[in-house]
Amino acid sequence: VKIDRAIDDVGEAETDLAKRLVAVAERHAVEHDLYHLGHTLARQCVERVEVLRPFAERYGATPLPDGTGTDASSGLLETLRRKASEVLGRSEASGLVLLADLRETYLLAHRAEISWVILLQAAKAARDPELIKAATSSHEASQGVATWLRTKIKVSAPQILVSG
Amino acid sequence: MTSDRIAHIWGARTPHGPEDEWPVRVDQYLRDGTDESTVAWVASACVLCSNGCGMDIGVVDGRIVGVRGRATDRVNRGRLGPKGLFGWQANGSPDRLTTPMIRRDGELVAATWDEAMALIVERTRAVVKEHGPLGLGFYTTGQLFIEDYYTIGVVVRGGLGTPHLDGNTRLCTATSDAALKETFGTDGDPGSLADIDLCDTLFLVGHNMAETHTVSWARVLDRLAGPAPPRLIAVDPRPTKVAAVADVHLAIRPGTNLALLNGIQRELIVNGWVDREFVDAHTVGYDRLADVVDAYPPQRVADLCGVTAEDVLVAARIIGESERLVSTALQGVYQSHQATASACQINNINLLRGMIGRPGCTVFQMNGQPTAQNTRETGADGDLVGMRNWQNPDHVADLARLWNVDPVQIPSWSPPTHVMQMFRYAEEGSIRFLWITGTNPAVSLPELHRIRAILEQERLFVVVSDAFLTETAMRADVVLPAAMWGEKLGTFTNHDRTVHLSDKAVEPPGEARSDLDIFRDYAHRLGLADKDGAPLVSWTTPEQCFDAFKEVTRDRPCDYSGLTYEKLRGSGGIQWPCNAHHPNGTERLYTDARFNTATDECEDYGHDLLTGAAFERKDHADLAADGRAVLKAAHFNPPHEPPDDEYPLLLTTGRTAYHFHTRTKTRRAPQLNAAAPQMWVELSSGDAARLDITEGDLVRVASARGHLVAPARITDLREGVVFAPFHFGYWDWVAQPQPDGVEREPPTAANELTITDWDPVSKQPLFKAGAVRVEKVAGSNGHPSLAPTTTASAPVTSGVPPTHGDSTVRETIGGQR
Repeated sequence: VKIDRAIDDVGEAETDLAKRLVAVAERHAVEHDLYHLGHTLARQCVERVEVLRPFAERYGATPLPDGTGTDASSGLLETLRRKASEVLGRSEASGLVLLADLRETYLLAHRAEISWVILLQAAKAARDPELIKAATSSHEASQGVATWLRTKIKVSAPQILVSG
Repeated sequence: MTSDRIAHIWGARTPHGPEDEWPVRVDQYLRDGTDESTVAWVASACVLCSNGCGMDIGVVDGRIVGVRGRATDRVNRGRLGPKGLFGWQANGSPDRLTTPMIRRDGELVAATWDEAMALIVERTRAVVKEHGPLGLGFYTTGQLFIEDYYTIGVVVRGGLGTPHLDGNTRLCTATSDAALKETFGTDGDPGSLADIDLCDTLFLVGHNMAETHTVSWARVLDRLAGPAPPRLIAVDPRPTKVAAVADVHLAIRPGTNLALLNGIQRELIVNGWVDREFVDAHTVGYDRLADVVDAYPPQRVADLCGVTAEDVLVAARIIGESERLVSTALQGVYQSHQATASACQINNINLLRGMIGRPGCTVFQMNGQPTAQNTRETGADGDLVGMRNWQNPDHVADLARLWNVDPVQIPSWSPPTHVMQMFRYAEEGSIRFLWITGTNPAVSLPELHRIRAILEQERLFVVVSDAFLTETAMRADVVLPAAMWGEKLGTFTNHDRTVHLSDKAVEPPGEARSDLDIFRDYAHRLGLADKDGAPLVSWTTPEQCFDAFKEVTRDRPCDYSGLTYEKLRGSGGIQWPCNAHHPNGTERLYTDARFNTATDECEDYGHDLLTGAAFERKDHADLAADGRAVLKAAHFNPPHEPPDDEYPLLLTTGRTAYHFHTRTKTRRAPQLNAAAPQMWVELSSGDAARLDITEGDLVRVASARGHLVAPARITDLREGVVFAPFHFGYWDWVAQPQPDGVEREPPTAANELTITDWDPVSKQPLFKAGAVRVEKVAGSNGHPSLAPTTTASAPVTSGVPPTHGDSTVRETIGGQR
């Protein structure tokens, strides 16, 4: 049984996604919906990893990441990023940077989503009802990140690319 | 009898029970010295809140001299509120805009219509050439008539082809619209105001009806004073007059509506108060809802919301044991955290109880502004005209056929752009032309220093059409004088779908024109044409425009096809849908419990309530709702800006009974201005004591975004919360000695403090969120604040002079409808 590998992958994918969401939210702090939801969703990525912690022990996976680096940057760094965002946000170049960031984040969201699918499949075959339950609801929740990014990208792209 | 309607906001009681009709009481106010026998009366309806009370405008010698309620009107049966009684005086104000103005060398100077329109057209063409139609933005209001909005909608969406058109209804009713679409498939409140007469239980969530809809509150007071009065539950952090007479007052922590509503639904389920037969036959989503709300037992709700578990249980029991439940929501839900998610739970509660589409049983997702419903129906906000679904190619094609334009001309690649996004586009420079009609974002949008900076950019060309030189107009490149209510003909619709015709009573001042005429002229100058080269705006008169609008609503949920000006003129109001099958209109929707949720008919495919991610056609089809209402569920999430050491208090903003928006009209009505003449902020007695602040002390309220200075009013507000009215901007600022004797510049506007954040689904800005700190600036010198004493602002301190006016309003009780 190599379920530990699937758990490792989920932990890494969700943590990477959380870090990226926070970084993108702060880089584009003037995109207020992105700023607030980016932080909320990053927090939820970390919470999903927490749900896996007992299973990581059960299956002997590497200790899961603890969410370090996924908090909102505090103090000086946050202020610097916000100021940078305000300056960048007044130039027309900000749109292309935003679109590229959203696209990259979308790929990470899909990586997290498919990692849950892999774990869920393994849980089913291993007939572990607790893991099946946990992975099912987490998989559903992880899909929400990509769907949200898809909506955001579909709304943003025309303005950025056509009204330049 | 005559009454002081500043002191007695709701007028004399006419008690009645559920078996009786609401009695008639005709309210009339005429300017002092008017000879009543010389007054000519012109039928209209009130435009100072979304109740839309039927009223007659009194005219002498071509000038408005007063108003009276229409006894035959289904909405108000003769009654008017203080704003309706006195607000008309703004029309005759000497500082009306009477001529176009163009900015030259930094100053706005008078110009001809030809010069102003030529400049606007030249700038439009230049921006389209350089940036395409996505460089153009339009921001309208909740104050115009159907005919104005529809013309704007056709010009912007069908002609110019930009998705950037929204109404300031985004600030007041976007969540109402969104929640109705999520649950029932299409917009439109299902019930009738008569359901207030018939219910046995009222559940008011974040709805200070006593101040926002004063005439409907009079209707409630009449029920409470009559036989078999309804039970009443109020959810509001403020000590409103609604809360004062409620059986249960849940003064929850701002931002926690969803936790409370989930908790109440859990109790309905646990105690078997769910109408399972109705739920099984007429809804989808019950299992997931039950699963989500199960996580909100009473003690958890009590902890999250800061109320007692006992009160939550009592409220749930009243709802659970009701037989005829009317639930309502307003800005306490719509402008608060998780707005649409919470509003949907209120729909759910009536669905779980099987109480919708029957007399006395409904949910009201209330509106704020008088004609907000029409921005939604005409597509002058974030909707497509006639409640069409922008994601449904058949709906777009149908509209293109009616407009005789190519379907690709109508922007439908993404939802119509909401105003906060439009301002963001203007900030980054991709919108270069912004036309604002009849609204004042320089005071009414959040985080004002940012909004002012955006409007003042050199690269943004700003056009404002308005009746007055607002704080926004002062920053415009071109200002156009607009005709107001009473000076033009048109129709509008209130929150129970009642349509009124408002006749032209007087001529507009100077060269002022209706927005219909302004946009028709704009379209003609631009040469906007349909596929065959005919003018896109094919009408000249309001009535011709109404006929065109009727055609685009035919067989749509908001069917106006059976209405005519003749039928509406002097009627007591007629509710849509009105068509060949329902020639007298329709009192209640969904009487057969069949909802507009089939994938081909719905106005929206729905959203994820947490993120606002838009579902697509296949997602909606998977729901297989097909006529059943959708029970949407969501978990509570903490608000985005919780209080901390630096900003330890929660800010909430709102209105008072005497003012409307940024006081553009109500400040010009002497009685209304006297009742609430200047800014104040409300503090709880506990917080005030801790901060060593007493009644009337000058305080500074600061957030991470800005600050304001105003006298304090100490009230029974929930501890930890600060309330600031949003009415007080800067256009009328004159140096007034403050309590400390210093004449101080503003800031006074509540939106100096507010956070730029919006609900992910409805995109309604969250004016009731964010953290602040309060500190004393100077003592009161014994002068209390000038906040009203008759409302939720009532002081706890004794000795504050009561708010009053004069006995000038005639109330006549009784008579035939």
